[in-house]
Amino acid sequence: MDLNFFFINALNGVVYGAFLLLTSLGLSLVFGLGRVVNFAHGAFYALGGYALVVAMQRLGASYWLALAVAPLPVMLLALAIERSTIYPIRDRPEIYTLLLTFGLSFVLIGGVEYLWGTSTTLVAAPAPYAGTVRLFGNEFPVYRLVAAGISLLMSACVFAVIQFTPIGLRIRAITDDPGMAEALGIDTQSLLTVVFGAAAGLAAFAGGLGAPIFAVHPDMGSGILLDSFLAVILGGLGNLPGTAMGALFVALAKSIGGGYVAEWSTAVLFALVALALIFRPTGLFGRGRVA
Amino acid sequence: MGAFRSVPLVLLTLLASAFSITRASAQESIKIGVLTIRSGPATPVGDDILAGIETATKMSGPLLGRSVELIVEESQWNAQLAVTKATKLVQQNGVAAILGTSTVETLALLPIADRLGVPIVTSNSGNAALTRENCNKWVFRTNGEDLMSAEALRFLISQNPKLASAKWFTLGHDYPFSRLVAGTVKSLKELTYVGDAFAPMDTTDWSPYIARARAAGATAIMVSVTLGTPMLQFLQQATDFGLTKEAQLVAPIGLPDWLVAKLGPLSTSVISAGSWAAWRYEDTEPATKEFNEVFFKMHGRVAGMQAIQAGSAARMLYSAIAKAGSTEPEQIVHALETIEVPTPVGLLKFQEGGRQAMVPLFLGPYEALNPRRYGAEYAQRVEIAFPASKSLTKTAAENGCKPK
Repeated sequence: MDLNFFFINALNGVVYGAFLLLTSLGLSLVFGLGRVVNFAHGAFYALGGYALVVAMQRLGASYWLALAVAPLPVMLLALAIERSTIYPIRDRPEIYTLLLTFGLSFVLIGGVEYLWGTSTTLVAAPAPYAGTVRLFGNEFPVYRLVAAGISLLMSACVFAVIQFTPIGLRIRAITDDPGMAEALGIDTQSLLTVVFGAAAGLAAFAGGLGAPIFAVHPDMGSGILLDSFLAVILGGLGNLPGTAMGALFVALAKSIGGGYVAEWSTAVLFALVALALIFRPTGLFGRGRVA
Repeated sequence: MGAFRSVPLVLLTLLASAFSITRASAQESIKIGVLTIRSGPATPVGDDILAGIETATKMSGPLLGRSVELIVEESQWNAQLAVTKATKLVQQNGVAAILGTSTVETLALLPIADRLGVPIVTSNSGNAALTRENCNKWVFRTNGEDLMSAEALRFLISQNPKLASAKWFTLGHDYPFSRLVAGTVKSLKELTYVGDAFAPMDTTDWSPYIARARAAGATAIMVSVTLGTPMLQFLQQATDFGLTKEAQLVAPIGLPDWLVAKLGPLSTSVISAGSWAAWRYEDTEPATKEFNEVFFKMHGRVAGMQAIQAGSAARMLYSAIAKAGSTEPEQIVHALETIEVPTPVGLLKFQEGGRQAMVPLFLGPYEALNPRRYGAEYAQRVEIAFPASKSLTKTAAENGCKPK
């Protein structure tokens, strides 16, 4: 196999990595801020896909309009869930919120199946981007490049908010030292709720963006949730730049591994992650810093 | 003296009780167990199987003067649950036979089939060993098994010069069926085999494997992706990447019609190397047409591959019960061994001394229908009904089947 084969798989990895970054950032933020390991994140991703399909098929919205509005109901739902279930137990050990969100994921997916059934819906790529472009000797879907670009843009916005805005400053302060942040008058509880909702919105947006690639079905969040956790753990829990590198690492390992060793690609990925954690238990870039 | 006077009264009472019990038995329905998947991503498979059995049950009407009652249990395609539910069906519900099983359930029930002691007629199990070296007196199969499918593939390739000269690649999930399919294609020495890629079972992004097929120069791809959401994802991505313009995609056992409906025009990029059933066989077989019409009336959609197969299995079972004149399990088994029945997949009988139905496999491309039929816009055209006499050439004994 020639160099073109390597480069096309690397490109596949970068595209998927841009996508994975969007879901991983939300997961990392929620943990960094509130020490909540959110197993329901994949369910929010799936809800985003379904919200997109409902907007397109029931309300007649175009793909882009549906993509813009789909995250909104998911964010509202996430805010309600956070206030009613996670907020009351936030001061308890992390295992409580882990188990709660684990159970929530089943409830949410069960609700999806009840409302929309278990079948899969294919979503066509929006018209100007439905074709292919020739890259590294292969035809490559234009939409995947567009989706990757949008993912990177959204991720850049998240980084910009964290780095350059007052709310971002508060988020960084809470991540560094929650007690001190609260003592300085930062409303940590409300900020945690807002970030939880925003993270769900990011996941839902990713679900809508990925619908023309991965289709919409109740189980669509489970695979990307696992990859997101790997990215977050590898990068360092609560460390956004680390998460970005982790997402790229996971995506490249899956893609290049898939191209060269196919059935062993998952084993190779987990072996690499295990090795990395043996030598760096808190992640490649350390734990707990949002920026 | 008083005791002697009461004897006729007691006898009369006993006779009346026996008569009323007999009358009650005569009115009791014949219970048939249906064990299949009813939840999760593979629910459409279970839906089709159940709908096919319901259709055949309605078409059959009463058996031995009694109504037929289907008792449905969910298996979740879980072996342990299948054993539990099958045991319940037999011991608590008193079913005369079990229908609807797929590979997982059938394999799970095989070791306990003697203990269950009722006929199990599967219509959705591909594992060849079930009716070869692992065959059992109680377990019958109406669909084509994997090695029969391999022969149909061999025939397809021999009839199609473009496929015969193509560069073959196998692309699918990493599970035994993929290996079997790859092995079959590789065994055809006249073909050029350029490689294979077996993706992990949880694969959603097929881009690396598509790249691998391309790098190998594939112009014909045997697609052994599991049916359902993964196949939908794969075919959509293969189309997005333009792979369908470069290579002919071949589905080893065809595509279920509910999947064809979801794929729409994407389905026309696939040809079948041996579907287990095809509703368009109605153009040749009156029993298929009759089944399709009743199915459409009952369920408002076209009968899929698994529905037709399940309906055929039910038809065989009901005919055996009628021939046996009894619901006694041994008698049903004996009747199954000897009957020949017109079913929606053609005239069916089980291989002599064996448990595999002599069932054809259906070869042909998927195409648009104009006008729609039974609500379907796309369907497989049956070009060849490859007969069992060519796919199952050895006797049951030669294939290792010695039902105890």
